[in-house]
Amino acid sequence: MKLNINKSLASRIVFYVLIFCILLFIISLSVIYTNSKKQLEAMTYKNAEALANNTVLKAEQILGPITKIANNYKWILESSELTCDSIYALTKRIVENNPEILGAAIAFEPFYFKEQGRYFSPYSFREKGTIKTIQLGNSNYEYFAMDWYQIPVAIQQPYWTEPYFDTGGGNALMTTYSMPFYKTTNGTKKIAGIITIDLALDWFTDIVSSVKILETGYASVISKNGTFITHPKKEWIMNESIFSVASELNNPELREIGREMQKGKTDFVTSTLRGVERKMYFTPLPSSGWTMAVIFPESEMYLPLRKITLTLIIIIGIGLFLLTFIISKIVSKQLSPLSLFANSTHQVAGGNFDAQLPDIKTKDEMKDLHDSFVLMQHDLKKYINNLKSTTSAKEKIESELRIAREIQMGMIPKIFPPFPNLPEIDLYAMMEPAKEVGGDLYDFFLIDEKHLCFAIGDVSGKGVPASLFMAITRTLLRTIAPKQHSPREIVKALNQSLSQGNESSMFVTFFLGIIDIENGHLRYANAGHNPPAIIHAGGDVELFETSKDIPIGLFENYDFNESDRYLAKDDRIFLYTDGITEAENWEQELYSEQRLIDTLASLKTLVPIEIVMSVAKDVVVHVNDNLQSDDLTMMCIIYSGKNS
Amino acid sequence: MLKSMKWILTFSVILLIIASKSFGEQLPKITFTPHWLPQAQFAGYYVAEKMGFYTEEGIDVNIVHPSASTNAIELLASGESDIISLFLITAINAKQQGADIVNIAQMSQNSALMFISKKEKQINKLSDLNKKKIGVWESGFGEVGEEMVRSNNLTVEWVPILSSINMFLVGGIDAMTAMSFNEYYQIINSGLNEDELNIFSFADYGYNIPEDGLYCQNKTILNKQNELRKFVKATLKGWEYAKEHKTETLDIVLEIMKREHIATNRSHQSWMLNKVLELIEPGSKNVKKGELSEPDFYKTQSILINGKYVENKIDFNDFYKPISGN
Repeated sequence: MKLNINKSLASRIVFYVLIFCILLFIISLSVIYTNSKKQLEAMTYKNAEALANNTVLKAEQILGPITKIANNYKWILESSELTCDSIYALTKRIVENNPEILGAAIAFEPFYFKEQGRYFSPYSFREKGTIKTIQLGNSNYEYFAMDWYQIPVAIQQPYWTEPYFDTGGGNALMTTYSMPFYKTTNGTKKIAGIITIDLALDWFTDIVSSVKILETGYASVISKNGTFITHPKKEWIMNESIFSVASELNNPELREIGREMQKGKTDFVTSTLRGVERKMYFTPLPSSGWTMAVIFPESEMYLPLRKITLTLIIIIGIGLFLLTFIISKIVSKQLSPLSLFANSTHQVAGGNFDAQLPDIKTKDEMKDLHDSFVLMQHDLKKYINNLKSTTSAKEKIESELRIAREIQMGMIPKIFPPFPNLPEIDLYAMMEPAKEVGGDLYDFFLIDEKHLCFAIGDVSGKGVPASLFMAITRTLLRTIAPKQHSPREIVKALNQSLSQGNESSMFVTFFLGIIDIENGHLRYANAGHNPPAIIHAGGDVELFETSKDIPIGLFENYDFNESDRYLAKDDRIFLYTDGITEAENWEQELYSEQRLIDTLASLKTLVPIEIVMSVAKDVVVHVNDNLQSDDLTMMCIIYSGKNS
Repeated sequence: MLKSMKWILTFSVILLIIASKSFGEQLPKITFTPHWLPQAQFAGYYVAEKMGFYTEEGIDVNIVHPSASTNAIELLASGESDIISLFLITAINAKQQGADIVNIAQMSQNSALMFISKKEKQINKLSDLNKKKIGVWESGFGEVGEEMVRSNNLTVEWVPILSSINMFLVGGIDAMTAMSFNEYYQIINSGLNEDELNIFSFADYGYNIPEDGLYCQNKTILNKQNELRKFVKATLKGWEYAKEHKTETLDIVLEIMKREHIATNRSHQSWMLNKVLELIEPGSKNVKKGELSEPDFYKTQSILINGKYVENKIDFNDFYKPISGN
């Protein structure tokens, strides 16, 4: 199953809560596990130690007194001169008085009693409920070469023999405690013989076998030679030693442990036996020098902890599952209004501002959201209503402006070629207002059959006020021009009319020229307008001289200058407003007079319409999508008159 | 026609097998006694018996071990055993003492004997044994050790011991006579490390004398020569098998030891088997496996004479009457 947590807020919240909980549980469990493990280890070690020590104590309660019994009889033997018969009685008494003893012998050195010869060793033992006494030694039973006799004599110390199986066929495990006793003759202390006490080890096996630790842990007793005296594996007893097992398992570590045991040490060790890590506590049995070991698999020590941990994990798993379920239910329920809000929003977006909102009864963030939605609905409604009325007002203005534009455009001549009957003159003009209506103007008309009057102007400012001023200027021009025949007079009259009552202090830069069609004589007046360019038939481009006069509409009685020149055949006059030369691109670079002159130079052979369109295209290229900031107006006249 | 012939042949073979089985009880009986209790020292005999090598040869061998009261020589003398195994030196001694005994094959070619002492006793060279207590088995095998001590002009105190190593372990003696395949490993197996011991192998001091051999009475050679040859052949085969199949051999040995209630463990018997197999190899000696070398015989006899165990010399050919197993 692919969990898509990006799909819903609820699943995301549940996911993060779950992750956090799992992390929390892992950390807590690890801490608990580690601590419990340590405690468990300490507890088990203590338990193993206590078990071993208790068992040692129990064993010592039997083994200990044996040494005392031997010691008591040793004292009797050393302190008094006993006859051979009394020795027999003595061995019998030892067995009689000590029910835990299986047999006892007092074996003498060769020829100790001359009349007894080489061998004298009275031995009393239990047989079928009675105590029998015999003399042990003979040529077939050279007891002098036996461990129980020979070793204590050699080391001059008491000695516990290595355990052995009863030769009587009883298959009972036994051990013999031997103690040398001495006689002092002529001031020299010499060994006289050995007292032995036979002890069955069945009780011992029982005690040790009853020790259980954990599941399969057990106790074992190991003799001084490392041989197993007790072990859960019966076949190991008296056959295997800790060293033979170490050799069999190829485990030198175990051999070292065995050697430590022989040194009578107490320790807690770990060794891997047959693939299982085992812990072993060992401690000596003080009287016999044997070793008690308590052994258990390390893994069993942690078994209860593992069980508890497993249970915990299962409980936590179920808990997490329930938690997930409950949290997702709660979160889904709490967040359910959100999708209703989303629905409402869709409806609002679709225009239904009265869309039904979810019913929120709580007083929390959801309620705030609800209230915000109500407010938003209300505001939106109000806003849209405002927008509606504003839009309709704007639409009205726009429509009026459109009409105004049509009127304005209607005021300037737009029929080209305008004088098809006059081969001497061709003319093309265009005006592109920056807004709906503009403040530029151009005009041309024949004053009489011989004279073409043309003008271009640029009203200060833009938009409706400029357009109105432009309309006035154009109307006045048409009114004044036929009455005056000099450009200077026309401009002067225009200035006078416009200046009167010009409250808004608007003005127009204005260029007006009159061409005598017959001879190409051009008279002109320039009221602060950009100097037009003249493209000579030869290809040179030349700007008219810069105006020395002020724009019209400023001072009523201003006297304007007039200039004149002759046009050659095929000279082209190019008039423009500053919208052309000051057209800006994104880098705020101007189109510039120079670029205009260069462009015009490349267009020297073209007709007016082509020149105007080409310049317009070049300006568009320069502006490169930047916003048109000013009205663009151009006019081009070609004189193809008689003059040469 | 061919098909019916085939049937007749198969039937005859089955009959033969049944016959050989039912007449098996009538195979000539041979009783063999090794000179000690069951252990891997005698693995070859047990394997030959268990694997049926003796039966294959056509003899019925019964292995009887000596008891505390009756040893192998006594069993041979009484006629209870037909063949016994003995140490060469024991056999020469017995023959000198009048026993009717002949060597028919020599199994072990090398000496397993050694003196062993704990390093802490500071016996680093043979001469350090002077005036020391050396354990030696009460039951015998002390002759070679005595000869070594005597020829080196040393004086030692011989301490008779039974079969245990405890006197040695508790330090009651300074050194003890040991077999490489037995006591040496018992000592290792009691927690002493090899580097804590000093070893004086008799073989290293010019006393690499053969040990286990097979013996019978003179009359047996006359009466049962065929059976003896079969016995030797099957026994050698048993040893070969033991060499090739040690795990199986140990299983056989351990089973017998368990049956006889003899305390042991696998690692000890495994050690013993390996050592005994080494002893069988003639090595640089000029004899084949199973043969007795004449110089070895005379050297062994001289040890007995030097030790004043015997006075007279006997002839090699009177002692050794090889029954070839081949």
